[in-house]
Amino acid sequence: MRRRNPLPYLLILPSFLLAAAVIIWPVYDLVQIASNDVNRFGQLRGFNDFANFTALFADPNFLAAVGRTALWTVAVVAGAILVSVPVALILNSDFYGRDIARVIVMLPWAVSLTMTAIVWRWALNGESGMLNSGLRALGLIDTNIQWLASASTAFPMEIAIGILVTIPFTTTIFLGGLSSIPGDLYEAASLEGASGWQQFREITLPLLRPFLNIAIVLNTIYVFNSFPIIWVMTQGGPANSTDILVTHLYKLGFRIGQLGQASAVSLVMFALLLFFTIVYVRLAMREERAHQGA
Amino acid sequence: MSKKLKRSIIAWLLLAPLVVLVFFPFAVMFITAIKPQTEVLSPHWWPHEPRWRNFIDMWAATNFGQALWNSVVVSTFATLGAIVISIPSAYAMSRFRFRGREAYRQFLLITQMLSPIVLVVGLFRVIASFGLIDNIGAVTFVYMAFNIAFTVWMLQSYFATVPKDLEEAAWIEGASRFQTLVKVFLPLVTPAIAVTAIFTFINAWNEFVIALTLLRRQESYTLPIQVFSLVAGRYTVEWHHVMAATFVATLPVAVLFAWLQRYLVRGLALGAVK
Repeated sequence: MRRRNPLPYLLILPSFLLAAAVIIWPVYDLVQIASNDVNRFGQLRGFNDFANFTALFADPNFLAAVGRTALWTVAVVAGAILVSVPVALILNSDFYGRDIARVIVMLPWAVSLTMTAIVWRWALNGESGMLNSGLRALGLIDTNIQWLASASTAFPMEIAIGILVTIPFTTTIFLGGLSSIPGDLYEAASLEGASGWQQFREITLPLLRPFLNIAIVLNTIYVFNSFPIIWVMTQGGPANSTDILVTHLYKLGFRIGQLGQASAVSLVMFALLLFFTIVYVRLAMREERAHQGA
Repeated sequence: MSKKLKRSIIAWLLLAPLVVLVFFPFAVMFITAIKPQTEVLSPHWWPHEPRWRNFIDMWAATNFGQALWNSVVVSTFATLGAIVISIPSAYAMSRFRFRGREAYRQFLLITQMLSPIVLVVGLFRVIASFGLIDNIGAVTFVYMAFNIAFTVWMLQSYFATVPKDLEEAAWIEGASRFQTLVKVFLPLVTPAIAVTAIFTFINAWNEFVIALTLLRRQESYTLPIQVFSLVAGRYTVEWHHVMAATFVATLPVAVLFAWLQRYLVRGLALGAVK
């Protein structure tokens, strides 16, 4: 029996304390306000039988935000994956200027979402935005479109921008996956006379599957949490019609001063995220075991 | 025509729509930034003459210097703190087999999944209870803490790739663990530390929701909040100033990132496998 060495525990202690402090303390506080009667100034006035949660599920704005969050998350994640698979396949092949192409594809990752959203808010401006003038110059539209004035155009635009900024990370995951596929598999397949599409379906896709799973789960987590794009472009407006859970939460907490309900939303989201994370950890661990087994 | 040339043309044609979409915001930023004020609202693409002075005017009109300084201070100290605290952890995780190591890795993973937005109401109340609203030190501390998971994860994945032979040789020569760490190990991993530090810096530089919530007065705004405040809830927006500000705030980070992105990709990939 070896003696337990205390050194590694001492070494990880500071990072553990810091990482735990910013999570556990706020979560404890959220549980307190969510389950208590709270006034505008944040004073607790006793346990309230989950009134905040009941109020939440009776609030049409909250329910609409839940639906929109689902749409937002599914649309952005699916869109990003559909674009990223072919992009990764291209970037994985050998062609002139590949290094430059990689840098260009990764570029949106470097720009803060706030700045991206501000630029798009201006580019989508109805009267003087450069998207309208660009489209008009190309003869694609005759009259200016008021992109951000109604949810029917604003929300799809926000989804499109969400997809655009999610592509770099997703492509990165797929490039990692593609580089792990041995090249002789394809050589053998071509010798057997398999077409490019057959090779993709029979070799690439099955071997890419674990990376696909990881990309779906991680992107779901990030997109579900994504705040700046919608907040900067429309602040969930007009008339709450582009609100998702995070913007609804922010309004409840810092605009309307409904701290109790805001905390309840936070905890609902916390639970969902924990669920996603457990799914991810299990997927990642299965992947790791498969690697060690091979 | 050679096969590779043909393949290159097809690849670039297929990528073209994405390339246009990636460059479109940069074009919008740059072109608006150099338009004279009278032309900003008129819907044509190119200015009649580039107005470079906009960048100078913007500096004063948007309180850019102060916000830039705040961003530099917050990001630098958050990065330094996160790195200094993470090095021992990452070292322990790559050099010791101890009970709870796996559990700690998973704990880090979970903390990384929790975006600050979910905790922001609680975080605001905790910080407010210390009277630290509007204090950039508090923002620095929160950034540091939220980046710990990322830095430990990245560092330990790089550390694990450094062979132990050199350290073991130093121990045989009679060096203590601490001496070996400082004289042998750290010099070997300096590039990894530098890369991790730069990405942490970019994270902090670009952060939005914590700064938006914890900073209330203009003197303490960081760049993203300062630029956002020029747009949000205003009737007239000086778009040429706003675009000049986003351009100046974005370009250095974008260049840095473009230069270093391959290391991020490698570090993340290593972290996922190790």
